[in-house]
Amino acid sequence: MVTPDMTTTVAGIEFKNPVLTASGTFGYGLEFTDFLDLDRLGGLVTKGLSAAPRKGNPPARVVETPAGMLNAIGLQNIGVPSFLADKLPKLREYDTKVIANVFGATEAAYVEACRMLDGAEGLAGIELNVSCPNTEEGGMIFGVDPAALGHVTRLCRKETKLPLIVKLSPNVTDIRLMARCARDAGADALSLVNTFVGMAIDVERRRPVLANVCGGLSGPAIRPLAVWLTWQVRQAVEIPIIGIGGIMSARDVVEFLLAGASAVQVGTASFVTPSASADIVTELSNWLSERNIASVRELIGGLEVPPRG
Amino acid sequence: MTGAYASTAAQEFLQRAILPKIMILDKTVAVVSNEALGNGNFLLTFAEPEMAAEMVPGQFFMIGMPGSGILLRRPFSVCGLPGTFENDSSGILQVLYKVMGQGTGVLAGLGDGAPLTVLGPLGNGFTLPQPGVTPVFVAGGIGSAPFPALTKACSTPPVMLYGARSAGDLPLLDWFRSHCGETLVATEDGSVGEKGLVTAPLLRWMEGRDPATYALIACGPDPMLRAIRNIAVPAGIRCQLSLEAHMACGFGVCIGCVVPTHGEDGEVDYTRICVDGPVLPAEKLAW
Repeated sequence: MVTPDMTTTVAGIEFKNPVLTASGTFGYGLEFTDFLDLDRLGGLVTKGLSAAPRKGNPPARVVETPAGMLNAIGLQNIGVPSFLADKLPKLREYDTKVIANVFGATEAAYVEACRMLDGAEGLAGIELNVSCPNTEEGGMIFGVDPAALGHVTRLCRKETKLPLIVKLSPNVTDIRLMARCARDAGADALSLVNTFVGMAIDVERRRPVLANVCGGLSGPAIRPLAVWLTWQVRQAVEIPIIGIGGIMSARDVVEFLLAGASAVQVGTASFVTPSASADIVTELSNWLSERNIASVRELIGGLEVPPRG
Repeated sequence: MTGAYASTAAQEFLQRAILPKIMILDKTVAVVSNEALGNGNFLLTFAEPEMAAEMVPGQFFMIGMPGSGILLRRPFSVCGLPGTFENDSSGILQVLYKVMGQGTGVLAGLGDGAPLTVLGPLGNGFTLPQPGVTPVFVAGGIGSAPFPALTKACSTPPVMLYGARSAGDLPLLDWFRSHCGETLVATEDGSVGEKGLVTAPLLRWMEGRDPATYALIACGPDPMLRAIRNIAVPAGIRCQLSLEAHMACGFGVCIGCVVPTHGEDGEVDYTRICVDGPVLPAEKLAW
């Protein structure tokens, strides 16, 4: 039995292990201190932050669907200034990498949020949310239009020296094109995927279940879709990938690593089991030990595709 | 005269909100019993001494069913604390639920010994009326769930107004009749008690009484809660509402369970039922 090396590097950020928490599923991190030691995590990604606070969408906002859930929260958040004043100082007490997820309604709003965060003590990087499906102002246009994605990424790149991760939407025809645009515009890494747009209908009332009509689908239901998109993007660009989509256990992490991700984010699992992300870290370490794998990095892109026929 | 009582209720609410935070526990327990009470209503019993010691009436659990194929846990009020239904100290906790969808459908099929994952205590719980103030409960059907534990915690015998569609949806009627000072019943089909909505006997009960002598506490479907709010707030009656919503996490993170409330800026805020509720002062609601 070896004690495996769990470290991994993405966008120049050295993570103690490849398990991060996904934006929108982990609050501002501090909500989880009853359930796990934040020091156990490779990193945490905040709830999507805008330059000014947002109140979000009217309810109903969530519904369970087969092996997953739809959400249409509408980017309710405390805003960057409150995050910097109230949350980040407390997060600095923990030994984990804090990444701020950022969105805006306009290019100017993205730029403003990035400028406010640049140089903040204890912040390891910025994840650009160009892919929230739930608000007209959530930046979805930036996630589905290659030119818009490139432009907003380039503008944000100029505003911050922090490592810049662009979180891609799966709601596109060819995610490889979006990946190339983000890379060309200066993204240090890509995270994928955000939620898939979906809809659930209350058949008795003949109404959409969610007030927003549609929502973002997450959970194990999307994992095969996300693994496939990770594999596609891996072949299109060389910058590091953070894999996201329905990870519930260590074996799910390994799937994304083999497909080419250098790290992962655990999302919906944290709703089901608040300690899930830390549990997965332990489980992954054991998984590697049991197989005598010395470093988690050996798995990255390690998929072997047999020749056809 | 709204102001005086409204601000009292708001103060009580704020005092609760600043109480030291209790650790939320995540435990795997076994079903002790899962008793069918008729018409899809069930009383689920499990034991978790540590949680039982911390829990107060009006708080809730998120309960998961491992291996069931149901992904998210479901929120349930605590119905019975140790001593509510039986005198023991073994950390017995009870949940009253009605089969409404897939989650409760699976839960209803669980036998004794089946594993449950239980997260709690969650939420704020009720503010107990001061001694001498009569608690007036208004429950709609399965909305009666949090009232047994609350009944036992009140120093003054409560008045119970229990409404439902039909007799089968008053699962704890006998219990309330034997534990409350007065129990008034209304069913929409008239199968037990008076025919109609529970607001009718409530308005009659209130008639001629000094609002300073009682406090309303209601739990049930949103339209019922709206009606209670519309009665209580203009009349300056202290009123707490226990709310329900779909939620993914139960501890404030998914922001899925919000309800519109009056914000400090005069605009609508979205308040999380799970951490800022499930009990909110009626005057705070903006629906």
